Amino acid sequence: MKMSVKKLATAVGTSVALMAAGQAAAEIKIGVAGPMTGPVAQYGDMQFAGTRMAIERINAQGGVMGEELVAVEMDDACDPKQAVTVANRMVNEGVKFVVGHLCSSSTQPASDIYYDEGILMVTPAATSPAITERGYDTVFRTIGLDSMQGPAAANYIAAQGPERVAIVHDKQQYGEGIATAVRDTLEDKGVDIAMFEGITAGDKDFSSLVTKIKQADVDYVYYGGYHPELGLILRQARQANVDATFMGPEGVGNDGITSIAGEAAEGLLVTLPPAFDQKAENQELAEAFAEKGEDPSGPFVLTSYAAVQVIADGIEMAESTDPFEVADALRSGTFETPIGTIEYDEDGDMESFEFVVYEWHADGSKTVAK
Amino acid sequence: MQDLLYFFQQLINGLTIGSTYALIAIGYTMVYGIIGMINFAHGEIYMIGAYTALIAITGLATLGITWLPIVLLVALICAVIVSSSMGWAVERVAYRPVRGRHRLIPLISAIGMSIFLQNYVHLAQGSRNIGFPALIEGGFQLGSEDTFPLSISYIQITIFITTLICMTALSTFIARSRTGRACRAVSQDLGMASLLGIDTNRIISATFVIGAALAAVAGLLLGMYYGSVDPLFGFIAGLKAFTAAVLGGIGSIPGAMLGGLILGVAESMTSGYLSGEYKDVVSFGLLILILLFKPTGLLGKPEVEKI
Repeated sequence: MKMSVKKLATAVGTSVALMAAGQAAAEIKIGVAGPMTGPVAQYGDMQFAGTRMAIERINAQGGVMGEELVAVEMDDACDPKQAVTVANRMVNEGVKFVVGHLCSSSTQPASDIYYDEGILMVTPAATSPAITERGYDTVFRTIGLDSMQGPAAANYIAAQGPERVAIVHDKQQYGEGIATAVRDTLEDKGVDIAMFEGITAGDKDFSSLVTKIKQADVDYVYYGGYHPELGLILRQARQANVDATFMGPEGVGNDGITSIAGEAAEGLLVTLPPAFDQKAENQELAEAFAEKGEDPSGPFVLTSYAAVQVIADGIEMAESTDPFEVADALRSGTFETPIGTIEYDEDGDMESFEFVVYEWHADGSKTVAK
Repeated sequence: MQDLLYFFQQLINGLTIGSTYALIAIGYTMVYGIIGMINFAHGEIYMIGAYTALIAITGLATLGITWLPIVLLVALICAVIVSSSMGWAVERVAYRPVRGRHRLIPLISAIGMSIFLQNYVHLAQGSRNIGFPALIEGGFQLGSEDTFPLSISYIQITIFITTLICMTALSTFIARSRTGRACRAVSQDLGMASLLGIDTNRIISATFVIGAALAAVAGLLLGMYYGSVDPLFGFIAGLKAFTAAVLGGIGSIPGAMLGGLILGVAESMTSGYLSGEYKDVVSFGLLILILLFKPTGLLGKPEVEKI
């Protein structure tokens, strides 16, 4: 009896091992790297929701070239140092395709490692132009650039005919980059920039900055950065009776701003990718998200979905899982995704990407600004 | 005229933030004064104080209690109790077992404790910034010129007054009470004090508890003033408060107060007249300068090597 139990255990063990080995051969690993923790984890939630849904649906339709997609998810906390560690772990896991990272400042150092190791990377959220400027032929995006978003914001501000504008940024790659783009466009249009100043991300006290904004007597304040700081600036500014209109990039557009700034978030302007989930052709997909209890309206949910999809389509097109062949396929093909038809230029940027100006409300909802 | 108002407005901003640095700095300076170690977990105690106050306020709001004095009082009491017990426990668990060893050992133990507490709050409360309700809104307008009003908000006044009360109470306590006298004795010579029958363990615990209680008060005040809390914000505030303590002369309570105010004003003047980017450069540069010319800080006494 004892013997047979042992035999049985061995038999089961062997077959499980065999099954695992069999599965390992028929799967394609998709690395997903983004913030699960840290101050901007909200965006990570959007990213992971998007990639999970995409992988689930692609697998349900028979996978890619008959093989299953398997996600390898890792947390970079939007920290450049941790992003490098994550990138190295992706290499060790044998991942060949990565969706990520999310913050520009963590995407840039990670992309060096992916490029060196011949890994194809599609970022669904990093908008800094520097990422695709270095001639890395395996780096792609499913999002626009700061050089598109900044002017979109600046054009909107200029059209309102403001007398003076203040520009504040968080000194990080993303925030300062987009703030600079806004400043340059506004200067070209002859708008008076009263101040251009950096703050430190993680700071809580903005009373001096708010006093300065008050003295500068501006009509608009553009903030390049993320919601934790802008939320506090908004709140402290409203408390000091600053009545300027605030505006920020997609990095401030999430429910975190409502939680921090409360009433002060009313009237905040945000440039965001268009609401892809509202499009008629995505209705079925939006319902699928709703069925899982997830919200498809976040700015990075469907860009992440699209990132998985272009990788999958690229593999199908190249009929190979070699990242370089897939990269060539991505540059030559056109891809139908929930965020529209994607065509890539030589740098791996999308040929066109539209940003829309939204007005934020105190209850967390948003409407298209006029 | 407007420039003058602008100056005073930045001064008010600086003094507000400076007084809270001072409240936190007390914890560093008292512990250093008594056992000569730097309690790096103190910033985390402050952060936990802010979180506890937030939880208490949210709890009261769900119970339908919104009468301001009650809410503030309950939040304050909860924060002080939780932070003080945390301060006591940290000393008991992480510092007492290694007391009297080489100086680096308690220091490393303190850094470990700080990392542990930070990550504990990460796990328990999530890593996101949580909005803190602004319970005290509005303020006075002291003067106005063109479009620029000089104003002081009620929360700023609350911060000044509370800091003043806490500091006076603490100074009186140290100068007059029996425990205060024992504190001073332990600070002068720990071995001798214990030979004379002072329960040094109790006094050291008391020091940690007092420091933690003041940090909790700062946590509640700053939570309301700034508007959000996150598990990492104790670290930065702790660093600034520690700088204030060193600036004023570590081990000296009036020094902590002075150091805090100088640091706060230096920061707000730098962001006001130069740029916010240089805020930390100036405040830490100031620290280096003062330490170069007066190594014991502004009000510190020359240190006699005790160990």
